[in-house]
Amino acid sequence: MSNVTIGQFFPGNSVIHRMDPRMKLVLTFIYIIVIFVCKNFWALGVMVLSLLLVIIISKIPMKVIMKSIKPILIIIIFTAILNIFYVDSGEMLLHWKFIKITTGGINTAVFMIVRITALVVASSMLTYTTSPTLITDGIERLLSPLKFMKNSVHTIAMMMTIALRFIPTLVDEFDKITNAQKARGADLETGTLIERAKALIPVLVPLFITSFRRAYELAFAMECRCYHGAEGRTRMKIMKYTKLDVFGAAFIFITTSGVIALNILFEHVI
Amino acid sequence: MSILKTDNLTYKYSVGTPFEVTALDSVNLEIEEGELVAVIGHTGSGKSTLIQHFNGLLKPTSGKVYVDGQDIWESKATLREARFKVGLCFQYPEYQLFEETAFKDIAFGPKNMGLSEEEVKERVLRAAEFTGVTTEMLQKSPFDLSGGEKRRVAIAGVMAMEPKILILDEPTSGLDPKGRDQILHLIRNYKNETGSTVMIVSHSMEDVARFATKVLVINKAQVVGYETPPETFSHAEELTGYGLDVPEITKVFLELKKRGLPVRTDVYTLEFGMNELKRLREEGFEL
Ligand SMILES: Nc1ncnc2c1ncn2[C@@H]1O[C@H](COP(=O)(O)OP(=O)(O)OP(=O)(O)O)[C@@H](O)[C@H]1O
Ligand SMILES: [Mg+2]
Repeated sequence: MSNVTIGQFFPGNSVIHRMDPRMKLVLTFIYIIVIFVCKNFWALGVMVLSLLLVIIISKIPMKVIMKSIKPILIIIIFTAILNIFYVDSGEMLLHWKFIKITTGGINTAVFMIVRITALVVASSMLTYTTSPTLITDGIERLLSPLKFMKNSVHTIAMMMTIALRFIPTLVDEFDKITNAQKARGADLETGTLIERAKALIPVLVPLFITSFRRAYELAFAMECRCYHGAEGRTRMKIMKYTKLDVFGAAFIFITTSGVIALNILFEHVI
Repeated sequence: MSILKTDNLTYKYSVGTPFEVTALDSVNLEIEEGELVAVIGHTGSGKSTLIQHFNGLLKPTSGKVYVDGQDIWESKATLREARFKVGLCFQYPEYQLFEETAFKDIAFGPKNMGLSEEEVKERVLRAAEFTGVTTEMLQKSPFDLSGGEKRRVAIAGVMAMEPKILILDEPTSGLDPKGRDQILHLIRNYKNETGSTVMIVSHSMEDVARFATKVLVINKAQVVGYETPPETFSHAEELTGYGLDVPEITKVFLELKKRGLPVRTDVYTLEFGMNELKRLREEGFEL
């Protein structure tokens, strides 16, 4: 359980880390859309290069990036295989009974692999370089122009912040209780599915009880500090756009223009 | 033959990530049967990590762990055997209770061992008696008990498995002085009556001094001492260097020595201290 990395923050002090979370959210969003706009390998190459540049600047080790791809590896492989057999265009490379493999199929498969990987890595870059609190804060502020639902935006953002904050705690707790029950001879690894589900009861009951206890304690602590929702609440940290954000926006703007130009200049693969 | 033995035991958390921590560094130790070992060390020194190796909850990054002369990682069977030979009670064990009644919760371990219903019942009652859990408490939901009572039920849950080696991680943390004393007494009684080996992680030097027969000192992932309490506390300076304390009474005698009185410095209980003062007076010193 202790190697869940998706959505994990990787502290640092790089330019990327210091950018305004709102800008990072918007730019990641744009980046993901542009990935889907790419029609040929040249355009996609520009996207990959710009992503690599961001990774290098952020100083996040490649190993950590690889870890974010691991959970979706199966999806990537599956998509690739489907495309190889399904797409029927270009030169025929192999034709055996009903199986046809064409250059078009292989091109599409490679294209898909790169596209999905870039998509996942880009969104992980957001979560690696921005703490969960800042992300939810950023979302809250981006949505705050929707005045009529401001209160619920704040509530939802606060709930998300708390939920995110407690995921590692819950994982730790789960590990601890599992160990304690294993020490009493609980067998969680063998048996049929139903047996294994049953074996989880000794872990889940204490986990729920602790979570409820913690929720009450947190609620008390928040009330003791006079928390009463969004109304009249001011910020400790004011988010401000800086030069970095202008650079970031310019960077994505140039990349996007490049992609559009290359889309027009070269032949489409998809 | 020693009952617990480690051979160059090294353990690292989060291997291969930037968060890698060496929690145990080439630990070699041998513990004889029937000892009551206190494990002391500054916070984060690796105590909890060490004890989780003895029943195979953690697998050594390198090195070996022997229980009763048997390498526990040799096969699945030896590992399972170690689970039942070594009873491990974690810190704040009351947060692991889950059954409808205290009785059923204590029975969880023995049941997992595959004992007959009769035997399970017998063991639960015996463990309850050791820990002072009353018949009335046994029928209650564990969540309706007080903190100290929950702690006893949880400890009984491990004792009911009647392990040859009982290991407890800070069994007295968060209890008042009386509750602490009771828990320590019942652990010692358990040891004396069953002849098992007991290991306790503790932060209270007074408790260590009073109850332990051996003290295992851990500093920064390494074992730096394994001696009797008087021997251990006679190196007060070393202990302070590890971020540890010595019992108050030892401090008093260290100070007396510093001021020129020919007293022993390995005094670690009140009684011992009284006798030492008496001896001094008999030898004609003005006190
Ligand atoms: N699950 C874990 N993942 C990563 N590192 C850990 C984990 N558990 C412990 N550590 C690290 O291993 C080292 C030893 O921890 P351990 O829990 O064994 O200390 P301890 O001596 O029991 O401390 P305490 O007296 O506070 O209970 C510490 O540096 C700790 O940060
Ligand atoms: Mg500990």
